[in-house]
Amino acid sequence: MATATDLEIFSTAPPPPPARPRVLLIGSALASGSAAMVVLALVAQYARLRSDVISGGNTWLPEEANAQLTPGNMGMVTLVMSMVTVAWIVHALRHDDRTHALLAFGVTLLLGAAFINVTVFGWQQLGLGAAGSTQALLIYTITGLVVAMVGAGMLFLAVMAFRALGGQLTGRSAEGVVAAVLFWYVTVAVYAVVWYAITITK
Amino acid sequence: MTVTEAPRAAAVEAAAAPSPSAPPTGLAAVVGSGDPRTIGKLFVGTSLLFLLASGVAGTLVGVEQYQSDSSQIFGADTAVRVFTLHSTAGLFLGVLPLLLGLATAVVPLQVGAATVAFPRASAAAYWTWLVSGGVMLSTYALDGGPFGSDSDAVALYALALIAVIVALIVATISVVTTVLTLRAPGMSLRRAPLFSWSMVVGGSVWLLVLPVQAAMLLLAFLDMRYGPNAFGGASLLYDRIAWVFWQPTLYVVAVPALGIIGDIVPVFARRRHQRHKAAMVLLGLAASFGFGAWAQVGVTMDGGGSAPWVDGGPWQVIGVLAVLPVLGLLGLWTLTLGAGRPKLGTPLVLAMLSGLLVFLGIAGGIGTVIVALDLDGTTWMTAQALLVLIGTVVAALAGVAFWAPKLYGKLLPDSLVRLGATLMALGALVAAVPLAIAGSIGQARFVAGGIDSVASGDVSTVETLDLVSAIGLGVTVLGALLVGGALLARRRGDGPGDDPWEGHTLEWTTSSPPPIGNFATLPAITSEAPLYDARYAPASSTESTD
Repeated sequence: MATATDLEIFSTAPPPPPARPRVLLIGSALASGSAAMVVLALVAQYARLRSDVISGGNTWLPEEANAQLTPGNMGMVTLVMSMVTVAWIVHALRHDDRTHALLAFGVTLLLGAAFINVTVFGWQQLGLGAAGSTQALLIYTITGLVVAMVGAGMLFLAVMAFRALGGQLTGRSAEGVVAAVLFWYVTVAVYAVVWYAITITK
Repeated sequence: MTVTEAPRAAAVEAAAAPSPSAPPTGLAAVVGSGDPRTIGKLFVGTSLLFLLASGVAGTLVGVEQYQSDSSQIFGADTAVRVFTLHSTAGLFLGVLPLLLGLATAVVPLQVGAATVAFPRASAAAYWTWLVSGGVMLSTYALDGGPFGSDSDAVALYALALIAVIVALIVATISVVTTVLTLRAPGMSLRRAPLFSWSMVVGGSVWLLVLPVQAAMLLLAFLDMRYGPNAFGGASLLYDRIAWVFWQPTLYVVAVPALGIIGDIVPVFARRRHQRHKAAMVLLGLAASFGFGAWAQVGVTMDGGGSAPWVDGGPWQVIGVLAVLPVLGLLGLWTLTLGAGRPKLGTPLVLAMLSGLLVFLGIAGGIGTVIVALDLDGTTWMTAQALLVLIGTVVAALAGVAFWAPKLYGKLLPDSLVRLGATLMALGALVAAVPLAIAGSIGQARFVAGGIDSVASGDVSTVETLDLVSAIGLGVTVLGALLVGGALLARRRGDGPGDDPWEGHTLEWTTSSPPPIGNFATLPAITSEAPLYDARYAPASSTESTD
């Protein structure tokens, strides 16, 4: 049973802090949506032009194009793997396991770099100049924007990794990492659409 | 004694020492400011200047179209470029940033926040927008812009417009995030003031539409600079842009204007907003109908454009449906005014005028989608755009007059603002109605160098209508000049007090102008109109709000 002294202590205690506003998370979600719309708008344009050409009885890609499945597929697999590692970051931080969190940060950044590498390899293998055809221009623009998104996601994650290293991000306040991870997931989802539209359907 | 004097001596010494972080003054205080009120005022002031430039350009183009063969100002090639300056500067450097500036300054106050969610991002957005906007306009002097002949300047124009759009997106994210995350305790989203809510729903659709515009410009830029120049280059660049001036995308620009009117009407009706939640739903519907990224001129492989959606089912359905939310809101405002004891303050007069203009502009969309009338591609659509955009500007000016105590710490001169904004509204009607008539007799949306032919009717009639329209735009510019003068000549004397209008929402609980951090304390929030509750508590307990 509470005594009068106990009640006095509770009545003078400071109020609990208000629920933490998820400013960075919501802002990142809105920014991610906008970034996705840029790429998706171009994919829609790509699909429409491709449909027009094919319905005219022609092939979409120029004859000299060497469009292989492997670079695109490898890029997709790489990003799918990174989805696991970014989840690992959040899980490790939530459990205040900084060692694993930093390891997961490192692996994710490595996978991001691998994606950029394989995409650039795909560009070289394609063998088309941007000025040579509308198809090449669209492919380079769309995949280039995805590379830019991956680069931005890597930068976002790297900043959060430094903050985690400095002790600013802990199990109780991992919002910055969750925001970066959200952007990463949106990037992967956008690439999945690009991969289907460009690599699979050719 | 020694013990008490030692700290005092230390304090005197500390006070005498130079402050390590003295607040900047003058230009440094403006350039380095992350204060949302400062950034908002900068957005409002500079966007009004850009709007003025856009209005003058529009007037000159209108005069150019009158008897173009005998009284040319620019010549055919330049006229079409000036027209693109008029329209792109009007929207991207005028209307959108004007609304965003007002929102950046007012929304934190409305939701009980100390600042916007990302103050430094808002500041960066303003400066990026300003510099990019300046570059964008200067490319016209270098023979750039749509239909320009200097390819480098045309490409620079596209790049600058992309930067303008990115800046607007960043500023929008900051405002929308503020409403979603920084509301005061007790203010659920459904208790948010209508202007703040309109920024959430309208801003969210902006965040989906503006990136599409940026993507199309990026493609055009890359095509011109590094690609096969397959998408028409400078001559078709305007096709990549113009869809934002048409329905349905045009309508989403006006959503915050509807929110502003929704906040002004109940205050001057001295009555709670009738069916506040219904108004929120209607604003949401108005915004969702305005998602028009699908209705743009598509690129084709031969460098042309096609718009298969014109005369299609979805386009027609949305053209009709878009009127309904605005009609519903007008009905709610009529109910609110009817239930209250209205006082005809300047903000209310301007709000009603702007509501009328926006409604007429959106209602005109019904005519556009009726295939038999054949109005698509005619100046009927130009008239629509003028009504909606100038109506939105008048609503924003109503907002500036309404929130002037919070923005500037002063009221604006009533008579000057009322005269200026009324002239703007009347000028918009005089500009739009002749264009609508000319469109109905077949005048194409813009004919470089004047009127070549009209589908039916007399060419000289159309030319006369164009001249009347140009005069209307001139009157609008004159009105804008008067409002600009009113902004510079704020009322002298003592401040207006914290709550000169007997407002209903949180911004009126703090001082005019607000202190840093906006609020010392906040009242209990149990409805969408906490001050109205406090002022009329016994009476309001019997009122129905929903």
